[in-house]
Amino acid sequence: MDWIRVLLSLSAALFRRKKLDADLYEEMRAHIDLAIEENRARGMNEPQARNAALRAFGGITQIRETYRVQRGLPWLEQAARDIRYAVRQLRKSPGFALTALLTLALGIGAATSVFSVVDAVLLKPFSFRDPDRLVVMREAVADKAGSERFASPVNYRHFLRLRKNAATLEDATIFVQRGVSVSPDGDHPHIVGAVIASPNLFRLLGVQPILGRDFVEDDARQNSESIAILSYEGWQTFFARDPAVIGKTLRIEGRPVTVIGVLPPGPRFPQIVLAPKIAFQETARDAVLFQPLAPSERDLDADMGNFNYRAIARLKPGVTLAQGNAELEALQNAYTLSAHLPLHFGIALTPLAKDVASRVSGALWLLFAAVGAVLLIACVNLANLQLARAVNAERETAVRAALGASRGQLVRSRLAESLVLALAGGTAGTALAFGGVRLLIALAPANIPRLGEVRLSLPVLVFSGGLSVAAAIMFGMLPALRSLRVAPQAALQANSTRAANTQESHRTRSLMVAVQVACTVVLLIVTSLVLRSLSHLLRQDRGFDSSHVTLALADLYAPQYDNPGPKGNAARLAFADRALTALGQLPGVQSIALTSVTPLTGETWVDNLFRPDHPVPPGQQPAINVRWIDPNYLPTMLSRLVAGRNITAADRAHPYVALISERTAHEGFAGDNPIGRKISDIVPDDQHSVTVIGVVADTRINGLKDDAAMVYLPYWAYTPLTLSFLVRSSQPSGAVIPEMRRAIWQIDPQVAIPTLKSMDDQVSDSVAADRFQAMALSGFAAAALCLALLGVYGVLAYSVSLRRREFGIRIALGSGKSALIGLVVRQAAYPVLLGMGVGLTMAMMAVRWVRSLLYQTSVMDPLAVGCSILLLLMAAAIAAIVPARRAASTDPIRALRAE
Amino acid sequence: MPEGKSDVLQGTLDLMVLKTLESLGPLHGYGIARRIEQVSGNTVSLNQGTIYPALLRLAQRGWVKAEWGTSETGRRAKFYSLTRSGRKQIEQETENWERVAATMARFLAPSN
Repeated sequence: MDWIRVLLSLSAALFRRKKLDADLYEEMRAHIDLAIEENRARGMNEPQARNAALRAFGGITQIRETYRVQRGLPWLEQAARDIRYAVRQLRKSPGFALTALLTLALGIGAATSVFSVVDAVLLKPFSFRDPDRLVVMREAVADKAGSERFASPVNYRHFLRLRKNAATLEDATIFVQRGVSVSPDGDHPHIVGAVIASPNLFRLLGVQPILGRDFVEDDARQNSESIAILSYEGWQTFFARDPAVIGKTLRIEGRPVTVIGVLPPGPRFPQIVLAPKIAFQETARDAVLFQPLAPSERDLDADMGNFNYRAIARLKPGVTLAQGNAELEALQNAYTLSAHLPLHFGIALTPLAKDVASRVSGALWLLFAAVGAVLLIACVNLANLQLARAVNAERETAVRAALGASRGQLVRSRLAESLVLALAGGTAGTALAFGGVRLLIALAPANIPRLGEVRLSLPVLVFSGGLSVAAAIMFGMLPALRSLRVAPQAALQANSTRAANTQESHRTRSLMVAVQVACTVVLLIVTSLVLRSLSHLLRQDRGFDSSHVTLALADLYAPQYDNPGPKGNAARLAFADRALTALGQLPGVQSIALTSVTPLTGETWVDNLFRPDHPVPPGQQPAINVRWIDPNYLPTMLSRLVAGRNITAADRAHPYVALISERTAHEGFAGDNPIGRKISDIVPDDQHSVTVIGVVADTRINGLKDDAAMVYLPYWAYTPLTLSFLVRSSQPSGAVIPEMRRAIWQIDPQVAIPTLKSMDDQVSDSVAADRFQAMALSGFAAAALCLALLGVYGVLAYSVSLRRREFGIRIALGSGKSALIGLVVRQAAYPVLLGMGVGLTMAMMAVRWVRSLLYQTSVMDPLAVGCSILLLLMAAAIAAIVPARRAASTDPIRALRAE
Repeated sequence: MPEGKSDVLQGTLDLMVLKTLESLGPLHGYGIARRIEQVSGNTVSLNQGTIYPALLRLAQRGWVKAEWGTSETGRRAKFYSLTRSGRKQIEQETENWERVAATMARFLAPSN
């Protein structure tokens, strides 16, 4: 590491030059004095002694120069000189400097902000022990045709067998992730994220409690419900970081629970989706409390059904994902055969980080690509500006070359200017990114995983630093190389502006405009496709009407309600009835209804459709979503009944009736009239089968992109633990919301209300991710368009100003204004059309990658592509018209006289 | 240039300085220069001043360190001394030099 020390002392020397010079002077004087003394001791007189001493020493000035060269860092001093020169040059043209600086700062700021999000959400490993070896485990089930496999949540028995037998796994943990109600100090409860997991969870992740103890295996056998470990955030929220928290109790779902441990602040437990199709807008909360999982009897003996769990496994060191997958797949296959299971089970492992990010990675990378394109366009713009400056400065460059500046020096001084700009822009951009990151977090939908971890961190700062240097090289290289090729003689002889107007430099700049246009076209097309997709999503027929409806979700997880069996059901039924009555009496209410699942929260309560009159081989029954409703549900949501009749109050005495959606009718009763047919095994803990009495039009009630097969049953047959009340009122939601809260809490103050908002908001929140993506992309596309417009304008305006003399002559020779305008516009058209062609080709390739992000929108959507092209042509026309008019209005006399 | 004196060969001055400091201990620039002249029996033509860039080079590499002190005659002067890595360097440089010298000797030996 010698060179580091040399470098350090050398650069130190740069800043302490005066002091070091004095030091050397003093040392040399000491030397001469010592020599004089010795000479005198040998018997010389004073002048002789001094002369001899000086002679022996040699040339003082030469020594000092050699010494300085040795001491200093010539290239560093040179660089400092280049930078000083660059700063001086930039200050001479503040307009250019400011434009360049702003463009770069915005570009780098935007790119850094987006990268911060990409880094935290997609790239940063989890702060668990060896996070690379953690995988999310799901079972894979072949669909009816056997061609496609889909991932399914895990069955407890299957999990236990895999955990016991798999040689590729170090360990595995199984858990439930859901919201639970917590009521601190007897206050109204609210819902927090909870993980109920097998006791080895934290050992598997490599996390140790900072207070108290970890779970032990016995915790899963006894009192599992009465102990909990808090996350650091939970400790802060519920106990204000009380160091004596261990042993204290917290009311969770109405039961006292003892805190046995507190986790360290770093690692947050991520949201794992049950299966890829389930959106979990409602449960998108960081887990703040953890409880041990005690399997139920049914968990332990059911091989089919109870696929209710999530699982994380840790691969043994050196085991690849493929090896793990292969071994577990083989184990599953063998078990399927030996136990004669009717379905064929496989396994699906995904790396933890990839799984958590899977829903957003496509969209985020798209944003990142878009912001990268904007930065590229900005750099090309700057390169163009720099090139124009370099051409302008050709004469000066020639003078410097003639005076003996080496080629290296010339290139360096041009590059230095870019570097100064890029570093200043990079610094300003990084400062902007601090704000940009906050803005992104504020705008981003809440269900982006790990959003809380987004911040400007070291890798991000390294990224933005690298970006600014790369930008400098990108927009400084061309002009720098150009200055190499200047022949001093030619440049000095020629008039400077004529030297500039060479065919070649013009071609370079047109090419750069084409690059900008191409990037812009791609960005515009992708953006308009995404906008089209969003608008289609929002405007398509949903099968229900959300306006004037307010939604309140009551969560009944508490001892008196979640008691399994008739007692609990009766309590829930009583609550539902009282709430419907109370809410119906609120002022302005036109209609009040009940459903078991909050609309637009994805597929839940997925069951198979069993028909006693039409048995099909196991595993081939269509999947359906079960919802428990009241007779007012359809009228309140303004959903259409297609056939049969709605549930009525008269059904209450014998509530075993059902409504099915058109899709269910199609998939489960193809060819038959479903009305009057029976469905069995659908009401929990009840042997009754239900009779289909009506068919409802398909609605997108699970999510705007999702039209699942539905079965609606009256809540009298079974009342679920979550009840969504829907109020259609003449009053605005803002007035209805507090009334609804009051009414529900009047019935039971210990019921949690995790969701209370207008149905319109619920619809809008359900597409928050799509809207955010569309919004961010629109912003970047607008920026790209502006930059491209500036680019076209800049090149044309510059070229027109150089060709004034030519235009003067043309006018003097009788050329008409329109002919001149045509000349300039044609000049603009060439790079724009070229860029558009290239851009369209690139877009063809890019959209293939974007396809998965679009909803029912063709990647060749003619409106989107047409609008993009039109928009770009308009921008180009605007950019061209100003310089064209200036060309046409050239005064021939003045133009000819000017030179 | 007087007869019988030769220029200091590139790179050899460093070793001379290091070796001087090794045998005499901490010494100022003048002392080092005089010692080199004496040891070489005045056969080396050395501008005494050239010792200073050499000392700076050695200090930058961390082989010697410098401190202000007082000379035997009471003059304030900068004293140089070997560092630990300087000592190691002597071994290495000596080896190098011996190898070069041996090679040269073989070239210069009368061919037979």
